[in-house]
Amino acid sequence: MSLLLDHITYTYPGTTHGLHDVSLRVDTGELVAVIGPSGSGKSTLLKLVAGLETGHTGSILLNGENVAGKPMHQRNIGMVFQQYALFPHLSVVDNVAYGLKLRKVPLNERQNRARDLLALTGLAEYAERSISRLSGGQQQRVALARALAIDPLALLLDEPLAALDASIRGHLRDQIRTIQKRFNATTLLVTHDQEEALTMADKVAVLKDGRLLQFSTPEEIYRAPANKAVAEFVGLSTILPATVIARDLIDAGFARLATATGHRQVGQSVFALIRPENIVPTPSSDATNRISGHIGTQRYLGSIYRYDFLADGAALPLLVESHQIAGNAIALPPEHITLLDS
Amino acid sequence: MKKHGAWLAWLFMLMFFTLPLLALVPEAFSDGGSAFGRVFGDSLFVAATRNTVILGLVAGAVSALVGTAIAIEIARQPAHHRQWMLTVLGLPLAFSGLVIAYGFILCFGRAGFVTQIVAFAGADPAEVGSWIYSVGGLGFAYAYYLIPRVALSLYPVFANFDNAPTLAARTLGASRLRAFIDTVIPEVAPSVLSAGCLVAALAMGTYGTALALVGTQLNILPLLLLAKVSDGGTDFSAAAAMSLVLMAICVLVLGIGDVITNRRERKTH
Repeated sequence: MSLLLDHITYTYPGTTHGLHDVSLRVDTGELVAVIGPSGSGKSTLLKLVAGLETGHTGSILLNGENVAGKPMHQRNIGMVFQQYALFPHLSVVDNVAYGLKLRKVPLNERQNRARDLLALTGLAEYAERSISRLSGGQQQRVALARALAIDPLALLLDEPLAALDASIRGHLRDQIRTIQKRFNATTLLVTHDQEEALTMADKVAVLKDGRLLQFSTPEEIYRAPANKAVAEFVGLSTILPATVIARDLIDAGFARLATATGHRQVGQSVFALIRPENIVPTPSSDATNRISGHIGTQRYLGSIYRYDFLADGAALPLLVESHQIAGNAIALPPEHITLLDS
Repeated sequence: MKKHGAWLAWLFMLMFFTLPLLALVPEAFSDGGSAFGRVFGDSLFVAATRNTVILGLVAGAVSALVGTAIAIEIARQPAHHRQWMLTVLGLPLAFSGLVIAYGFILCFGRAGFVTQIVAFAGADPAEVGSWIYSVGGLGFAYAYYLIPRVALSLYPVFANFDNAPTLAARTLGASRLRAFIDTVIPEVAPSVLSAGCLVAALAMGTYGTALALVGTQLNILPLLLLAKVSDGGTDFSAAAAMSLVLMAICVLVLGIGDVITNRRERKTH
């Protein structure tokens, strides 16, 4: 059961906003996260797959069948909404069994299936309860069970953790991923939370202004972003404007930095991406790319410190994360400087 | 300050609401309760009660249905449209029942212009024009100010209605109609029924419009009661008993609305 979005273009009526030629594939049992800033089109993409929005060009293939012309109730898609969207007048078990009732599954069978799913989500004892007597996390688990009960061709998760407290978000994130894997559900997750995307997804699609900037594994998205926009959106970093001045040497203004320049020509403008955890806070005196300066704003995060290092002569601070705060020098290891074309 | 404010409110409640109603009880039982026997033995009263209940239920049901449709439409409008629609909708509530009755006579009475237009189409103007003086016609006139009341009370229900469960039902395989029946109706029905009960009770108890429109031609409880306490009336204990019956009917209808609303709230909270 795969989901293929092939050259999807959609414009909201009366605007220029929408999606422009977006293609991506979710293979059977895979979880693909779509991330991007507000207005990037990620929710629109989900709505098009669900059939909540129509009028796009391109194909949406569910298990090989183009569902573009199908009304949403015939697509056999399970969707989990940000605000749960449960039926408040039904009990927990009846919520989960609703889709099965529509499919005319006999009462006993659908109740048993709903109870099995509730047991799987750790909510067996709440089966007869009213929805309003559950916490937000429990309600979202009911919504997940309800979506999976119909054995959907694809599972769509629309910011499923956004309405929850940070304290339970991490636990529920793991639980959703475990259940998704167990059901081998072909899943599309839309989120603005990059940590959620990186930790849950097999692949990540980064959207901006309705265009797909990069579609790759979380590791590749983080370590080798396709361009500055992806690098800025995914993870914390310092991005320095620089110029290639020789093979494997760039000039960042305040310092000349050794790094692999690859195919780039001398004189070419680039951006040097440096992740905060890759900066060496206590370099030896002969370390490559050793930079002098002083500490700016410090933030204590419990397990590590995050702080600004103001290099001598630099206009921008370098963001550093380390277990101990640097002294008056840091080093930027050449292998951890990623060059992006400007 | 809060405590004193509460006492004052209770005092006003006692003086202007509870005492006048309680005063009816000794009057109704002043002759040992035989007034109730006289009232229930009077075929005119029985017919009036039946007409009043029919009038209330019909006016309440029609007003609830039309008011709900208007409330849905207002909730769908953009904010600037909503504001003037709400203002226009509130106007009928400010008009006197006498003015409304006169307006309906001018439109739908025997010489009313709507009646004349219908007459051009071949209908008998006398027959068409007499309808407004029937229970149905009176219910129609009542709907003029009951519909806005329903629409204004239900508008927030629809404006704040969460559409997500309906969309969830659709993605789970429900057709548009099935999703509406399964998700919208259970959510709004208690509010609509409650609003219907409220306006039904109002329709049963009101008499201004009825008096102006049909005079004493129509036998309904408020007009029968008026006849009992007006200049020609002498049986005040029967009038008090009748008042208590009318009040009981209205309280019963309001109570049904409250029970429906409370049961729904208990289920979802």
